[in-house]
Amino acid sequence: MTLLSIKNLTVSYGSPPYQLKALNAVNIDIAPGETVALVGESGSGKSTIAMAIMDLIPRKAVSGEIFFKGRELTSLPSEERRKLRGRNISIVFQDPFTSLNPSIRIGKQIAEGLTTHLGMSNAQAMKRAAEALKEVGIADPETVANAYPHQLSGGMRQRVLIASALVCNPELLILDEPTTALDVTIEAQVLDLVQEIAARRHVGVLFITHNLGVVNKIADRVCVLYAGQLVEEGTKERVLRDPLHPYTRGLLGSIPKLGHRESRLTPIEGRFPDLTDTPTGCIFEERCPFREAACSEPQQLRSLENRRIKCWKAEPAQVETWPVTERHTSTSDVRSSDEKALVELQKITKRFTSSTGKLTLKTKLGFLPLPAVEKKSVGVLNEISLSIGRGEVLGLVGESGSGKSTLGRIMLKLIDASDGRVVFDGKEISDASDGELKEFRKRAQIVFQNPTSSLNPRRTIGDAISRAFKLANPQADRKTVRKSAEELIDRVGLPIRYFDRYPHQLSGGEKQRVGIARALASNPDLIVCDEPVSALDVSVQATVLNLFKDLRSDMNLSYLFISHDLAVISHISDRIAVLYMGTIVEEGPAAAVLDAPHHPYTEALLSAAAVPDEAETDKKRIVVKGDNIRRVTHGCVFQGRCRRQIGSICETTKPPIRETDQGLRIACHLSVDDLLMGQKQLAENS
Amino acid sequence: MALYVINRLLAVMVVLLVISMLVFGVTQIMPGDVASTIAGQFASPEVVDAIREKLGLNDPFYVQYWRWISSVVTGDFGQSLIMERPVSALISEAFMASASLAIVSFISVTLFGILLGVWAAVRRDKLADNLVSTFTYVGISIPEFFWGIVLIMFFANYLQILPSGGVASISASPGVWLSHIILPVITLTLTLIAHVSRLTRSSMLEALDSQYVRNARAKGLPERTVIFRHALPNALMPTITVLALDVGWLIGGIVVVEVVFSYPGIGRLLMFAIERHDLPLIQASILVIALIYCLANLVADLLYAVVNPKIRYGNGE
Repeated sequence: MTLLSIKNLTVSYGSPPYQLKALNAVNIDIAPGETVALVGESGSGKSTIAMAIMDLIPRKAVSGEIFFKGRELTSLPSEERRKLRGRNISIVFQDPFTSLNPSIRIGKQIAEGLTTHLGMSNAQAMKRAAEALKEVGIADPETVANAYPHQLSGGMRQRVLIASALVCNPELLILDEPTTALDVTIEAQVLDLVQEIAARRHVGVLFITHNLGVVNKIADRVCVLYAGQLVEEGTKERVLRDPLHPYTRGLLGSIPKLGHRESRLTPIEGRFPDLTDTPTGCIFEERCPFREAACSEPQQLRSLENRRIKCWKAEPAQVETWPVTERHTSTSDVRSSDEKALVELQKITKRFTSSTGKLTLKTKLGFLPLPAVEKKSVGVLNEISLSIGRGEVLGLVGESGSGKSTLGRIMLKLIDASDGRVVFDGKEISDASDGELKEFRKRAQIVFQNPTSSLNPRRTIGDAISRAFKLANPQADRKTVRKSAEELIDRVGLPIRYFDRYPHQLSGGEKQRVGIARALASNPDLIVCDEPVSALDVSVQATVLNLFKDLRSDMNLSYLFISHDLAVISHISDRIAVLYMGTIVEEGPAAAVLDAPHHPYTEALLSAAAVPDEAETDKKRIVVKGDNIRRVTHGCVFQGRCRRQIGSICETTKPPIRETDQGLRIACHLSVDDLLMGQKQLAENS
Repeated sequence: MALYVINRLLAVMVVLLVISMLVFGVTQIMPGDVASTIAGQFASPEVVDAIREKLGLNDPFYVQYWRWISSVVTGDFGQSLIMERPVSALISEAFMASASLAIVSFISVTLFGILLGVWAAVRRDKLADNLVSTFTYVGISIPEFFWGIVLIMFFANYLQILPSGGVASISASPGVWLSHIILPVITLTLTLIAHVSRLTRSSMLEALDSQYVRNARAKGLPERTVIFRHALPNALMPTITVLALDVGWLIGGIVVVEVVFSYPGIGRLLMFAIERHDLPLIQASILVIALIYCLANLVADLLYAVVNPKIRYGNGE
């Protein structure tokens, strides 16, 4: 018997003619012990399915049937539904930082479910809560049970949420983007945990994610959702290795892959459909490169080779190639390395001093004991030396808290380094005069992560770009400014008519293009791109990445490209630097960084950035233990988490820099040969 | 946490010191002269000069300030010029009367303000919410002395069920005490209840929309638990800060209400002192009022730490 069976689930808000259809006749089955992944971009309605199952959206919006162990849920009274929540069906939400109540102790938050559903006494429930914490791999459950959420790291909090979801032994577990807010090494731990527990307890899992790499690791079956409709469903192997629906193919094609550096990404053109006015025909028709007249007819979900697909046309035998859009840049990508560096960081160190600290008595004037606050100083960057050549792209990859954004800001002198020098085009900028600094600002620009918050909502696109241009060219007359702004809008691939639009009228990808146009307005040599694509959906990310590539080869720009995603970094960079806890652990030409030997940390990053269309069984997943919040003061920054730690030397001595013939530099106590050997062994064992 | 408390205490001390200087400074430049007030309207200049000399009024102002502040610290506010009694005795009587009024008012504001706010938030966009919204608009937009007059006219003059002024001892007859205090309290609190409930409503709505409340609902907790255990404690944080600020409002209101209801508290005493140029009394009443205000804020800050573990435990690991 199926555990969960969703039939014709439709969720619509409002009333016609302004009715928004968040979900449109979706059917999904989950068997006990099975893991079904629900994949889609933002707006696809994947979280709405979870909320409908949980009865957390207004009832009147929901139509269709949801059967749980044969029992129809939508007709049950609210109180009955509530008793199922947390008891038989549990959910883990996306953001561990906001999903726990900040003013209630962890243990109590887990125990609540037990006292409510199983009628346990407080003492029993607290005891069971501690056991549940232990089960999710928390070493010191009593201490954690007594802690408040803000005292725990993100990874720990997500474990707590998982423990709390599992504590009443539910039969169905819904995970709504459970690892999206986490760093990759922590993500790997959490995925492992979920998989292990689900298998042991034979729990059915509905895993909601936008990340196809994660799907590949965890799912048995995959459902692909687009604009509220199920477009393709089948086993993981079928759907990821051999996708049939054009949307699934487009989605897979737009993901940057490790080791496919030359290829241009194939984004899905067009815009997400308006859900208040959905077409009667295929929902993807407008953006589909293979559309025909018959696509405007209503589409049925049809079965095809053990899968279901909502496209009349798709046949496994005759798969057309996805058209490559715009230009193809392949030449002029390789830069000569003997050229003088455009920007050079020399032994940059940054420390932040905390605003509070421990209260102590300090002797002043030799005898007077006065209360003083001992402030903590936190090292964020340790002696970073890097350089970027003219027209070169340096990728900087690291987890949250590694100091990558700080480094980008120091490079632009938005903040000052505690120690070290920044040299731009032969001139040191740390002691530049105001005039020199003004000139420097024209030549070095930044593109921010969040395109929405970095644009003034009350200013038109044209206005925003014109002002940036005017700032760099104060003498320009109105006509020139207007013309240049229009050129810039065109340059980033937006229609000129966007000149008079406001940011809220644009999609996320379009806003980021405006951010790029604004950075280009002063005709810079260097752009610091601080996670410029991480807020975007993959299909949009692909178009923006292509734009970055095109601009760079057209204008001979240099980028410092900051990202947490090694696949994105490897796609765009000439050289890659891997930052961990404020220290560069590996640096070199992109191809060399991606090839063995690796620093043990890079190795874990590479393993986490698994390619979705490769069989997961080919590679053994490397799970790094521990959390990434502890700051070390001596020895190697990766000590304690490293699977190749050789002994006390890692804890006491700063590792030497090992260089290879390919120009790779690795900070490790192991020699290059030792590193290489270990990685070969790992490959053979699996 | 210790550091936090010490910080707050130090801040209160500094504020009180500055206020004492301000109070002293203002009474120095106020029109009217202490010596001539004491001597009376028809005294000769020689007599006034003699009194000046005796009181040390010819000393430089900082000497006078030091003399004043060092006796204030020991609880001695000097002698009232008009009543010819020690100021501290006058103040403490009036203070007790005002305190009972203020405490009852403050408790009502806290209780009804929060309850109405929570009720409105939980019934968002329903009839209850609209009723509370209407009440709060009316409450905030009309000044308190107007309510005072309306209430006196209705309950004391028309219905004649409540006294229009005065005070009674709570130990002797609680019923009479209540009948005297009920109209001043309503007058005093109407605006503040409106203020607090509006704020509580909006912070409660925010809490009810939060991820942790969604998570609490997803755990299958009963709605009552979700509202009172998960949403309310977090929603109260801004309310606590505002309640402390409202103490200032309350004190300002007490001056008006005490005059309207001829209630013998510190507000009426202050008005009396200002009318009669009784400088020691003015200084003392303002200082006491400032002290109450500072202490209320201190209590709020400490309460804030109690409900917010981030302050209690710092941000460390």
